[in-house]
Amino acid sequence: MEIHEREVWDGNMAASQAMRQARCDVVAAYPITPSTPIVQNYSQYVADGDVYGGDFIPVESEHAAMSACVGASAAGGRVATATSSQGFALMVEVLYQASGMRLPIILNVVNRALASPLNIHGDHSDMYLGIQAGWINVCAFNPQEAYDLNLCAFKIGEAESVRLPVMVHQDGFLTSHTVEVVNPLTDDAAYSFVGDYTNMRPMLDFTKPVTYGAQTEEEWHFEHKANQNAALMHSFGVIQKTFDEYEKLTGRKYKFVETYKSEDAEEIVVAIGSVTGTLKLTVDKLRNEGKKVGLVAIRVLRPCPREEIAMAIKNAKAISVMDRSAPMGTTGLLYNDIAGILLDNGVNIPVLNYIYGLGGRDTTIAHLTKVFTDAEECKKAGKRVKPLIQMVNLRGKELSFF
Amino acid sequence: MATPNHLLKDWDGFTPGSLLFSFDDAQKREYAFSNSHEYSVADWRVNKPIFNAEHCIHCQFCWIYCPDTSIISVDKKFSHIDLAHCKGCGICVEVCPTNPKSLLMFAEHTNEADALASWPAKEKKQEEEK
Amino acid sequence: MSGMKEIKNLKEFSTSVEKFEGGHRLCPGCSHSIITRQIMNATDYNLVVGYSTGCIEVCTSIYPFTSWNTSSIHIGFENSATALSGAEVMYKVLQKKGKLPCDNGKDTKFIAFGGDGATYDIGLQWISGAMERGHELLYVCLDNEGYMNTGGQRSSSTPPGGATTTSPAGKISYGEKMKKKDIMGVMAASGAEYVAQVSPAQWKDLVRKTQKALSIKGPSFINAVSPCPTEWKFEAHNAMHINELAIDSCVFPLYEIEHGQKLTVNYRPKNKIPVRDYMAAQGRFKHLFKPEFEHVIEEFQKEVDARWEYLLRREEAGV
Repeated sequence: MEIHEREVWDGNMAASQAMRQARCDVVAAYPITPSTPIVQNYSQYVADGDVYGGDFIPVESEHAAMSACVGASAAGGRVATATSSQGFALMVEVLYQASGMRLPIILNVVNRALASPLNIHGDHSDMYLGIQAGWINVCAFNPQEAYDLNLCAFKIGEAESVRLPVMVHQDGFLTSHTVEVVNPLTDDAAYSFVGDYTNMRPMLDFTKPVTYGAQTEEEWHFEHKANQNAALMHSFGVIQKTFDEYEKLTGRKYKFVETYKSEDAEEIVVAIGSVTGTLKLTVDKLRNEGKKVGLVAIRVLRPCPREEIAMAIKNAKAISVMDRSAPMGTTGLLYNDIAGILLDNGVNIPVLNYIYGLGGRDTTIAHLTKVFTDAEECKKAGKRVKPLIQMVNLRGKELSFF
Repeated sequence: MATPNHLLKDWDGFTPGSLLFSFDDAQKREYAFSNSHEYSVADWRVNKPIFNAEHCIHCQFCWIYCPDTSIISVDKKFSHIDLAHCKGCGICVEVCPTNPKSLLMFAEHTNEADALASWPAKEKKQEEEK
Repeated sequence: MSGMKEIKNLKEFSTSVEKFEGGHRLCPGCSHSIITRQIMNATDYNLVVGYSTGCIEVCTSIYPFTSWNTSSIHIGFENSATALSGAEVMYKVLQKKGKLPCDNGKDTKFIAFGGDGATYDIGLQWISGAMERGHELLYVCLDNEGYMNTGGQRSSSTPPGGATTTSPAGKISYGEKMKKKDIMGVMAASGAEYVAQVSPAQWKDLVRKTQKALSIKGPSFINAVSPCPTEWKFEAHNAMHINELAIDSCVFPLYEIEHGQKLTVNYRPKNKIPVRDYMAAQGRFKHLFKPEFEHVIEEFQKEVDARWEYLLRREEAGV
């Protein structure tokens, strides 16, 4: 397959190409909007013989997709898949089983709202649902990043000291179906970066038969979960090393936390996903008006890079945290992480929570401007003078809590 | 089902992923400590089977119907009962076709010599109602 | 490549290198392990085994012990067939790429085990999918007619009149009301190349069917009756007797279906015994012998007879 130095790809195409170039041995997947094109593209690659001998299993549900991936990975080879929303929710059980068995499966999550009511557009409710499943979570904000982070994900997950599955998130439709210029690597360069798959304890090695998926009773379970958590918490080194190697190869630098004009910012907005693009434009506009504002975007969501986040936000005077999922009863997930980090670093400043973009709801510079100016008002008052939880671009009278 | 104390490991002292190996050397069939062969369920028993070689025809019914792989056959002949794994279910006795049976259940503490000495004689054929 | 061995008689069979170890925690007298031993010892291929949550999983892999002398995987309740679907495709891919870790010069076969809970109920979609996709995979249902590992709840395999904790016999109820699902029909229609019903009491038939299934370049399904001493309520030492009653009463007929169509009846009992005798031997049907519930036994006899008749006629018709 011919790959050009400049391609015009949407996020789905970028992800599927990276999966192809990584020479997956098995991809088991099920179609669901908006990740379906990943599955379709991959099927076409297989049909054209462009997957270097790998194969594709068209399973009968997303739960079966992840189950087949687990079986294939335990058998001993490189495995990846993709899903969204309802499909992700359906396979949640297996996500925990995959990480518990320490299988380095790559999952592209094209983030979409969770029913009910049914909605096929982008928000982070699926991302937030699986955040505790013990996977490494990285977030792509555009097609280039979807491509790059997929290649990095294979290398990170398969590292001997890590050996954990990795999710690569991208916003449904907003990234997955938005076509942009992408600079991919050649097939050989990409595979050379990812490297050969290293087998660890594969079922197909009959000199060392192994049982996967044992049951641990109360005298064992804690130790096993602690062991798994330790691997996740200690994976920062491998992630950083992988990002460094990728920068050497491509010139593109990835960090745990991406900052934009935040070094001297007094009001900072923290967010994940495609909204960060619009936030950068908002920051530029407000900077032109003389306001000291900045953006902090989370690239690696789990393990949570608390030190890097603290470094980026601790000098702010007020912070707004944006969550693209209805928290249903409390503050948003990202808010909770940020608030805890601030407290742990002795930083006592007003922090606001904004719920936005649910079900693909548009978020414009005008909306985001208010997110900054609300923080500014709190800064001026020296305390929180705005509601704790607000909704962005919600039709109807103001809805806020606390 | 408590693990024997000497097998409890610290959170960083075992193969990640809760994996269990069957053998240390599969070729030589050297059991790993994690093979259930190394775990005894003898304390499940109330009664145990005792074998009488005098009557056994080595039909292997007991071998195939033992749920606990506790009838050990060597060279197509009954060899011995694996008392570490026998749960005393009594299937081996039920399926034994000889008359008298070559396997019978006795109380756990019974001495083998006593059991053999008290072995019943051949049963006369009876009219059985089906 | 070698892996299929000829087993002429039981003495020969007894020379098998054991693939399933004692020291597991299945109840005394449980037929699960009798069946599993017969199936796994029927072949010398490399085996990758999958199993679903339930008695067979819980009792054979309580950390830190495993009873499986071969590579095995348990993911969850529904998906042993799917785990092996993935493993089987990985095997084929690695074989083509020349990257198999180590196979001792033998072919590898894939056998999934699941209880009737996993097979008839929660995992039906997953197994149907695996059958439809044509994997070279044998799925064995260890059918003890209920969710026995969790204390005996009903499944769609529980026969009418069977008392379970979620279909208990009571003052006004005679227990399970629904008929047993025809899992063989479902699997045959899902694309299984070969489906067969077996009993551990007929080891030769079971071994022949296992070997046949493993020689097929496609999916197979075997349903094995597995009487449960704990929840069917009979004494452990009678396990093989109950197995025999099940097949001699034709409650659990032994037959096979090839290519989803050709049906062959494998065992015709010399003396077909009344279902009443089969049920009388088990405590889970005890309440049916009360006058107000005896009609259930009669209805069940009619059903078993009708089903038996159907099998015989279908075999005769060759469809």
